[in-house]
Amino acid sequence: MSNEVMRNDTRRRSSKQAVFEALSGKWVLAVLTIVPALLLFAFVNIVPIFWAITGSFYEISAYSPEWTFTGVQHYADVLANPELWASLSRSVVFASGAVTLQLVLGIGIAMLINRPFKGATFIRAIVLLPYLTPTAIVSFIALWMANSQFGIINQILAQMGLIETYIPWFASLDFAMIAVILTSAWKWTIFVTIMVLARLQSIPDGLYEAAEVAGATKYQLFRDVTLPNIKGVIFIVVLLRGLWMFNKFDIIYVLTQGGPRSITETAPIYAYEVAFVETQLGKSAAISTLLFVMLVTVAVIYFKTLEPEQEVRVE
Amino acid sequence: MNLIPGSFKLRLNGDNIPGWNRLSYERRRTVLRVGWGSLLALVLLAVLFPIFWMWSTALRAPKDLFTTPTSLFPQEVTLVNFTTILTQLDFPIWYFNSIIVALGVVLLTTTTATLAGYGLTRLDIPYKKTYARTILFGYMFPPILLAIPMFIFWRKIGWINSLLGVMFAEMAVTLPFSIWLMWKFFQTVPESLEESAMVGGASRFRAFYEIALPMSKPGMVAVGVFSYAVSWTQFTIPQVMLVESSKWVLTIGLFSLTIQSQILWGKLMAASALALIPSFLFVFFLQDYLLQGFRAGDIG
Repeated sequence: MSNEVMRNDTRRRSSKQAVFEALSGKWVLAVLTIVPALLLFAFVNIVPIFWAITGSFYEISAYSPEWTFTGVQHYADVLANPELWASLSRSVVFASGAVTLQLVLGIGIAMLINRPFKGATFIRAIVLLPYLTPTAIVSFIALWMANSQFGIINQILAQMGLIETYIPWFASLDFAMIAVILTSAWKWTIFVTIMVLARLQSIPDGLYEAAEVAGATKYQLFRDVTLPNIKGVIFIVVLLRGLWMFNKFDIIYVLTQGGPRSITETAPIYAYEVAFVETQLGKSAAISTLLFVMLVTVAVIYFKTLEPEQEVRVE
Repeated sequence: MNLIPGSFKLRLNGDNIPGWNRLSYERRRTVLRVGWGSLLALVLLAVLFPIFWMWSTALRAPKDLFTTPTSLFPQEVTLVNFTTILTQLDFPIWYFNSIIVALGVVLLTTTTATLAGYGLTRLDIPYKKTYARTILFGYMFPPILLAIPMFIFWRKIGWINSLLGVMFAEMAVTLPFSIWLMWKFFQTVPESLEESAMVGGASRFRAFYEIALPMSKPGMVAVGVFSYAVSWTQFTIPQVMLVESSKWVLTIGLFSLTIQSQILWGKLMAASALALIPSFLFVFFLQDYLLQGFRAGDIG
């Protein structure tokens, strides 16, 4: 290597060093690393909440950018509208049904696969599939399988003699809600399974051995060793998944669009319909704000009881 | 702890089945093992059957679709559904749009979250606790509650019907959890290496760039996979933000096919199968990383 090249190389390296040096000040580095995330987070997570609150005091049409101040009119309208209360109670029905089913199936499956067996890795990979299947596609498959004329579910049930006429599951007043809850279980049970499985694997074997030596039956093992250990996980699941299921939009919208005759029109679907079918964005913002308030209440419980921020060791 | 109060006790144990104790130990073990195996088979069937049915429908000729009783497998395997959606529908455009949005979300999220994770663990800045709480709070927000006010806001700045607008909107879902994940991840990367490099004369930025950053790769992959999954499966945000069919992403484009009066099931299932292929690849190649992303909870 000639001297010339070496000198150039050193110069280049030292200028890189100089840039690194300049970027190393505590505040420079803080601005460089934390500020982009902070700005973006404020922009996409915090600002919309303020827009919802501000917008709820105005009349905003989906077609024109004009805002007309209406004060608390929207809140008065919405709170006096039985449609809101009906949609809230449907949300409660959907959330409690979905969470219960996901919890029971999730714990069951976790206990089923929480043991060493041949092909365990493979099977754990298979049960991951619903997690990565887009909700919309889960719903398309469910719609096709439950089709009222050619659906495989109707064919199988009829062949087994369980039903006489084919049932239009997602268009039936009796079954639509149950069908939506079942579809949600196919998609989200695995979350409960994974959380419970992680907890189960951290229970020391010694606890089970000691209990067995003391003559505990399988049921007593579950009740006195397993259950107390997964209680915390169950609490988180009920709280967070309950919150998310309460505000679930996509799966219900794709499956039924809130129908038949509004029987599956939960609160978020109602808010969407008000915004984009009735084209009343201001009123919809008022509904969103009310849902925010409920969400904050649950969040306060979550933070008070679990102090999740301790996980990142902030003093 | 007794779940059922009173004298009645439910025993989920073989001991109270008549004759159970007269069986030999091997017999009992076989019975339990067969029972366990059939439960597992049932779970696998429930998970796999819908996916199998999607493929089985996608590979049928239209006339093979509307016959009852339907055969479990296609009478003859044909790719006609796939060729139709690839040539006649806007499907390739939607697929392309989905890829663009997902790429944007993954790049932006991974970069900002990694930087923030480093800054929050390594630098001594005030109000960390407030920051942690705010991020977690943001992570609890369901997409629909953000999408409606965002629509009002995005319209002001001209981001409706734009893929860029969707990218940023989807980051409301990916960013909080990703920052949280990287924050926790950097705490597991030992600081001593960076410290000794700095003692040896390296600048702080160099220690970050040449030591901390390469070591945080597993965390970055986890964040990347997570944000890909959120973006690829997202329905709510594009449904609110995108109006013209040339701007649609896969999920809402395909949804538009299901609200027509005549649903083309064969084509819909073929399109779904193609949309699922990236997910299959992820499941089999990135299992370990996916498990970390799981705590994210609400995806899609």
